[in-house]
Amino acid sequence: MNCEKCHKNHATIHLTAIEGGMKKEAHLCDECARQTGVHLKFNFSISDLLGGLMEPTTKTPKVNQVRCPECGITYSEFKTKARLGCANDYEVFRSELLRLLEKIHGSTQHAGKTPHTVDAQVRKENELIRLKRDLESVVKSEDFEKAAEIRDRIKTIELELNR
Amino acid sequence: MKVEELLSQSGEWLKGTGPESDVVISSRVRLARNLHRFPFLTVATPQVRAEVEKFVRPRLEEGKLPRKLVYWSLGELSSVERALLVERHLISKEHEKADGDRGVAVGADEAISIMVNEEDHLRLQVIRSGLQLDEAYEEIDRMDTALEGSLNFAFSPQFGYLTACPTNVGTGLRISVMMHLPAAALSKQMEKVLQSLQRLNYTVRGFYGEGTQPLGDFYQVSNQITMGKSERDIISELKKVIPEILKFERSWRHKLIDDEPRKLEDRVWRAYGILKHARRITSEEATDLLSALRLGLTMNVITGIPHKVLNELFIFTQPAHLQKIERKILDPEERDAVRAEFIRRRLEGL
Repeated sequence: MNCEKCHKNHATIHLTAIEGGMKKEAHLCDECARQTGVHLKFNFSISDLLGGLMEPTTKTPKVNQVRCPECGITYSEFKTKARLGCANDYEVFRSELLRLLEKIHGSTQHAGKTPHTVDAQVRKENELIRLKRDLESVVKSEDFEKAAEIRDRIKTIELELNR
Repeated sequence: MKVEELLSQSGEWLKGTGPESDVVISSRVRLARNLHRFPFLTVATPQVRAEVEKFVRPRLEEGKLPRKLVYWSLGELSSVERALLVERHLISKEHEKADGDRGVAVGADEAISIMVNEEDHLRLQVIRSGLQLDEAYEEIDRMDTALEGSLNFAFSPQFGYLTACPTNVGTGLRISVMMHLPAAALSKQMEKVLQSLQRLNYTVRGFYGEGTQPLGDFYQVSNQITMGKSERDIISELKKVIPEILKFERSWRHKLIDDEPRKLEDRVWRAYGILKHARRITSEEATDLLSALRLGLTMNVITGIPHKVLNELFIFTQPAHLQKIERKILDPEERDAVRAEFIRRRLEGL
């Protein structure tokens, strides 16, 4: 069976949904499924996807149905409420928000205060990179005592960062 | 401290002593902050709201902060007490009306307050008398930094402090300068002021913030842009704009007294007469007349009334204040009588 969308590739993804008692089906190739956003979601509602697929002339762009896996809101819900659901939305709706922020603020890059906890984290991450580089060179020079010391320090920082 | 005790004091910002206080009532700065790993309040279940309050409250009450704060859970207050906090500018109208677990932490002189579970998990504000933007920002920055010691705020290096509404993201900083612009309003010049401010990306709101009508010729000018500029840049840009408005208002005040001194005097003294003798007065009328009286005071048309007394009258004649003073629920007509009496008493012997 060929993909319903491009009519070229072999359909490898088959979706079925019951909507209003009616069975709806969609058969897509990998490429077209990715383009429709299947790969983006974890708890994507199939009927939403089918709705979007079966009405290619719909005014609502597909991005409106992208759902944040953490808070569960879609971009179109955000547009209605004008409020985001969680911090993760800034990543999930990133490209749309970048356009919006450019409109609102004339900028998409924060230029103000940074919490010192974040500063500390960035510092630790930088130290980790440096220590791993050091470790390589002391191992090469066979200074195993020093290597053990560095390894301990790396472990401590990794624990701190994961906390 | 109980909410009631607010009646025996008034906020530091009502002193009327700050710089440029002939025009500028107060400088207010606000920071929006959310907690890392908690959903925003838009989608928060009652359990999450409760968790946020339970997590934040002890950290606001602990002694290590630069200012000692008293926490009130809004659910434990009466509706009159909640309305009183709005009239005091300690919480927003939305916070008053909302449902679910929420609260506010307030400093003793009311200069600082922190709303919990409003639109964002935390909304910090500092209000200062007159034009004191740097001082207000320094104070809020100290509190914010101190809170970072115990709270992990949602932050991204690109987007800055993450907020529920993208209009606040970045610095989360909103600066509002409350100004009294009666001469510009009387001379029908406000449209001009509003238009030029909007062109510069500033918004203008009424006495009680978002969605409120300008009352008694009080206008709040705020920055719209919160991202792409540092806090200092946002402040210094506003510091360039405000003096222009001051100059404008003052020039119209002088024009009033030069062109039609009798008209101005009449307006001021009539206002004083009504305030001093009326037996019933609505909140709108009182605000209008107090506004005229304030104009007269700053222009020496009338003397002998301390600014503090006048500023307090604006706040204490609001409905919740009157009901709390009288210790009972009053219908609007009863309030008008109580309000008139309250004003008469305050102006007696001045």
